[in-house]
Amino acid sequence: MSDSALHWASMGHLLRSLDRGELSSLELTRHLLQRIATHDGALQSFIHVAEDAEAQARASDRRRRRNGAARRPLEGIPVALKDNYLTAGMPTTAGTQAEGISFPREDSACAERLRAAGCVLIGKTRTHEFAWGTVTPPVANPWKLDCIPGGSSGGSGAAVAAGLVPMGMGSDTGGSIRIPASFCGVVGLKPTFGRISRHGIVPHSWSLDHPGPLTRTVADAALVMNVLAGYDARDPACQAQPVPDHGRALGRGVRGLRIGVIDNHFMDRNDPEVQAAIDERLRELAAQGALVSRASMPVLDYGLAAIYAIELASSGAYHDRWIAEGRSRQYDPDVRALVEMGRLVSAVDYLKAEQVRAVMAEDFRRLFDSVDVVVTPTEPLTAWERGTVSVAVNGQPESVLAASWRLTYPFNLTGLPAISVPCGFDRRGLPIGLQIAGRPFDEPTVLRAAAAVERTVQLDRRPALFA
Amino acid sequence: MRSPSPADEPAAAMLEGLSGTNLGRVRLQEVCAAYAPMLEEIAKLRTLDLADVHPAVIFEPTAAYRRPR
Repeated sequence: MSDSALHWASMGHLLRSLDRGELSSLELTRHLLQRIATHDGALQSFIHVAEDAEAQARASDRRRRRNGAARRPLEGIPVALKDNYLTAGMPTTAGTQAEGISFPREDSACAERLRAAGCVLIGKTRTHEFAWGTVTPPVANPWKLDCIPGGSSGGSGAAVAAGLVPMGMGSDTGGSIRIPASFCGVVGLKPTFGRISRHGIVPHSWSLDHPGPLTRTVADAALVMNVLAGYDARDPACQAQPVPDHGRALGRGVRGLRIGVIDNHFMDRNDPEVQAAIDERLRELAAQGALVSRASMPVLDYGLAAIYAIELASSGAYHDRWIAEGRSRQYDPDVRALVEMGRLVSAVDYLKAEQVRAVMAEDFRRLFDSVDVVVTPTEPLTAWERGTVSVAVNGQPESVLAASWRLTYPFNLTGLPAISVPCGFDRRGLPIGLQIAGRPFDEPTVLRAAAAVERTVQLDRRPALFA
Repeated sequence: MRSPSPADEPAAAMLEGLSGTNLGRVRLQEVCAAYAPMLEEIAKLRTLDLADVHPAVIFEPTAAYRRPR
């Protein structure tokens, strides 16, 4: 495999090369470490590179020689974790430089599972401080360095898009996996709430946080789900649901699949280029036999209110001790304000937000009686320049926080699985993402629909600066 | 933003008491200003009659018994 083929290869392809003995984990790991050394100065996607990455790879190669065909499912594949996942071998900062705040050096449930699956944990990717924001400074967007990568999992999105690593873990409280996936042109899956253990992830908002992978292909997202999904009693929200083969339906196509399109909220205030790309993909899916129907959901008018109340109150509660100790004064100004305002949310408003959430969950349940998936844009527009505080969507001003999570947070409020899959580029050459959501624990159908979009658009463009 | 005037003192003290913060009055004013647009959004919840809707977060007494000891 050529050097270029190596860093753009999917995890599935790399596993086959490793299985055939064409490649060792050590060669692959060294190649990616060299990529990181060469390119991450411009990108700033990693906050820490594992000192023992080569040692992990050597150990994987030894295991592979010993176990042969009975290898572990992701044996020898280098992966990265967002810097809010605890790791035994690497420090965790959750993106903060505030003094007096530190996190244990022990593996989160996801780190444990990835290690047990044979992965090389190559490093930690940058997060917006405490995962509370969608900018992820100082990370750059690989497609245009003066644009944001999205966030809060912006480091993982940028690293995967630039060919520095085939998979980076993210966490998603209002869209933090899908936003960078959309802005960086990669696949980002937020599974059902309770599908993957959150044990050992620095909390942001307990009832909204979801772990999940960012990958370059839908099939790779399914591979990662097969090792991460499952019950863990250490996470009170984790559910003991059967774990399917997430890749089982990827090749089935969309014939007969019922696609719902919610016209209000999701389709009524998007950049024209984004809207045109989504409309075109829907026409293509219909031509392939999908049954597209339209719906409306008035409760979405209250979604922003609900997520503001829940997220502000929850993050305020988590940070309360550090606010009381004066440590929040060292946070970045945007994050400091967000956590300090948590105490201003009244208990009645918080509970009304939880009631709205119940209504929204019920409305989606009703919609899923007649459709299998819901398709929306992931973002109302493509990535914007760093330093932007307000964007214009169809001529209407909107704060960057409100714009960036407007189409993603409904699936955090409802806990439904949702994926962002690249579906085109705008005239500036920036990626456009398409979002697909499904019923609780029906990730296989969401992945099936995403694979159909991926096959249809056949995007093979790479960021020119990182080719 | 204007500085707190003596006339604001009772209101500022009440806000500090209600919110339970130790941020100090000047900082609390700054945080209130940053919160204002979000509060405008959250206030939409107050227009809804949801008395018959159980909140999404449900207390589960058996949860503690599932955790590893």
